[in-house]
Amino acid sequence: MKFGIFAAALLAAPLGFGATAHAEDTLVPLHWQSQGTFGSYDQAALQRGFLVYQTVCASCHSASAVHYRDLTALGLTTEQVADLIANIKQDNQPVTLNSRLIGALPKAQAAATFGGAIPPDLSNMVAARPKGVAYVYHLLTGYQPAPADVTLMAKHYYNAAYPGNQIAMPAPLTDNAVTYADGTKATTAQEASDVAAFLSWVSDPNLDARRQIGLRAVIFLIFLTLLAIATKRKIWRDVG
Amino acid sequence: MSDQTKTWLGSRLPIAHNIGNQLSRKPLAANQPYLAALGMLITATLLFLVLSGVVLSAYYVAAEHRAFQSIQLIMRDVNDGWLIRSFHATGTTMLFAAVYLAIFRALVTGSYRLPGELVWSLKLVFLLLMLLVGYLGYAMQDSAVSYWSLHGVVQTGAGLASFPANIFNWVFGGPAGPGTLTRLAVMHGLLTFIALGVLALHYFAKQAITPPAEKTVPLHPYYTSHHFVAAGVYVLLFAVLVFFAPHLGENPLNQAPANPLLVPAVTTPPWYLLPATALTHALPGTNGGIIAFIAAFAVLFGMPWLDRSAPGARPGFLYKLLVVVLALDVIALCLVAAAGPSTINAVLTIVFIGWYFLHFLVLTPLATARELN
Ligand code: HEC
Repeated sequence: MKFGIFAAALLAAPLGFGATAHAEDTLVPLHWQSQGTFGSYDQAALQRGFLVYQTVCASCHSASAVHYRDLTALGLTTEQVADLIANIKQDNQPVTLNSRLIGALPKAQAAATFGGAIPPDLSNMVAARPKGVAYVYHLLTGYQPAPADVTLMAKHYYNAAYPGNQIAMPAPLTDNAVTYADGTKATTAQEASDVAAFLSWVSDPNLDARRQIGLRAVIFLIFLTLLAIATKRKIWRDVG
Repeated sequence: MSDQTKTWLGSRLPIAHNIGNQLSRKPLAANQPYLAALGMLITATLLFLVLSGVVLSAYYVAAEHRAFQSIQLIMRDVNDGWLIRSFHATGTTMLFAAVYLAIFRALVTGSYRLPGELVWSLKLVFLLLMLLVGYLGYAMQDSAVSYWSLHGVVQTGAGLASFPANIFNWVFGGPAGPGTLTRLAVMHGLLTFIALGVLALHYFAKQAITPPAEKTVPLHPYYTSHHFVAAGVYVLLFAVLVFFAPHLGENPLNQAPANPLLVPAVTTPPWYLLPATALTHALPGTNGGIIAFIAAFAVLFGMPWLDRSAPGARPGFLYKLLVVVLALDVIALCLVAAAGPSTINAVLTIVFIGWYFLHFLVLTPLATARELN
């Protein structure tokens, strides 16, 4: 997996292969720490990703399967999360730790704004796309001027990564759309990479726990199976 | 158990005592391949699915547009809910892998031949039940792909003639609407218990036709240690999938909630339903699909009679080779079905299904008649 994506990035860059190979792609390697069999989430990236999500995406999208309290999984204490969400409002009410990540945009208004398209809930977005986290990254960095032979539908934008290339979502990210607390430079590609990482956590919050338990379970079972083989051989020795 | 407890249990409940004693001393053939443990593994997996299914049902809400949310709750908010759900989903994968393997093995070894015809038929009945239960479980997720599949199936049912339509309504409960998922959930559980009964019948039918072995060993500790090895490898594989590939063979689009306004671009079902899906899409029209499905099972049920070899003959090399080719043919058919509709795929589907029927109706009788001894 890891190698595949790396190789694809290496191949894509010099060949100018795929319209998504922008100059800034080289700054952010197309690899997320959670990819591969034993990968785990990069909590710093998740925290930056949440900032992008909350500042930019939340004005249109929801991720309603997640509560703000769940953000402690990003390596924050409950107090830090409480501080982080202190200024967030839903329906003019401040959110609590038990609020869900609901978007600020009512559905009817969204449909009117985007020519009928409704910003989908992002709770399972990374899991529900074949290329997952990389797809979201390419989607967010894939906005381009439409080629001459393409006529865009009303209220649509040209996006190299979106199936059909015409998407109702206006390019959400710009350089310095957020200011990262950890001093990371907020390029569009960096923001896209971070918010993609955050959304993959939103889709699969148990990945770290699953792999940690899994590793122990598998080692134990290998040991148990070897023991079973030894026992069987001993018992069956005389039978042949 | 201490001896005292044993004597006490033996006097109060002799049957438990006797079964325990007899079972552990039961003489069994001394040479068994590890694949002989498949039946035990299938039974254990189905019981495991019952167990995990019961736990899931404590939180699952069988109602349209709420089922998906309830599964999200299980995956995210219920303690260890993701683990139980992974167990259930991956258990299904393991079960189908074992069942398909058992059927392949029966074809290769020729165990379907008389007097094995009833044992063989019960295997097929079990597969049919599992396909139905598996489909119901898939539809119960109420997600982006399965939602549309269910609506297609229910519409198909509405177009059937009266007799099959009655059975159909019994399972799916008429047009998709408020009560549909509740009925599916009930059938999902009920058919599972019927399948457990079929497994029991299969076990007894097999006992009845197994000739006494020349050299035997007692079940315990010989078979227990033997099956422990098979179970160890099986569970190891199971664990690898649960923890490192929990969505193996699933359509990623199905991870999103159902959207009544949007048919998903790719409608591939989970891998274990692919053979059935390929068949139902083979011929045009609703009835064409159903006929292809029934015919495919009919030739399987007919195997004991399509095989022309002499009683007691071992399957020959040519026949075995043909079964391996058949397995590859079915895998190819599934891959084509997974790739989705296109002109080439329509042709390939016909070719692969054609080979399937050619195998059973022409090649098997010819090959087995040639290999009489
Ligand atoms: C101005 C409102 C708006 C903002 C801000 C916004 N989106 Fe969207 N988004 C939309 C709309 C509208 C759609 C539906 C597009 C369509 O159906 O053509 C959409 C669709 C999507 C999709 C689905 C693409 C697919 O394959 O179906 C993803 C993923 C997505 N947005 C991610 C994001 C992320 C991440 C952010 C924050 C960086 C974001 N969006 C910010 C309006 C917005």
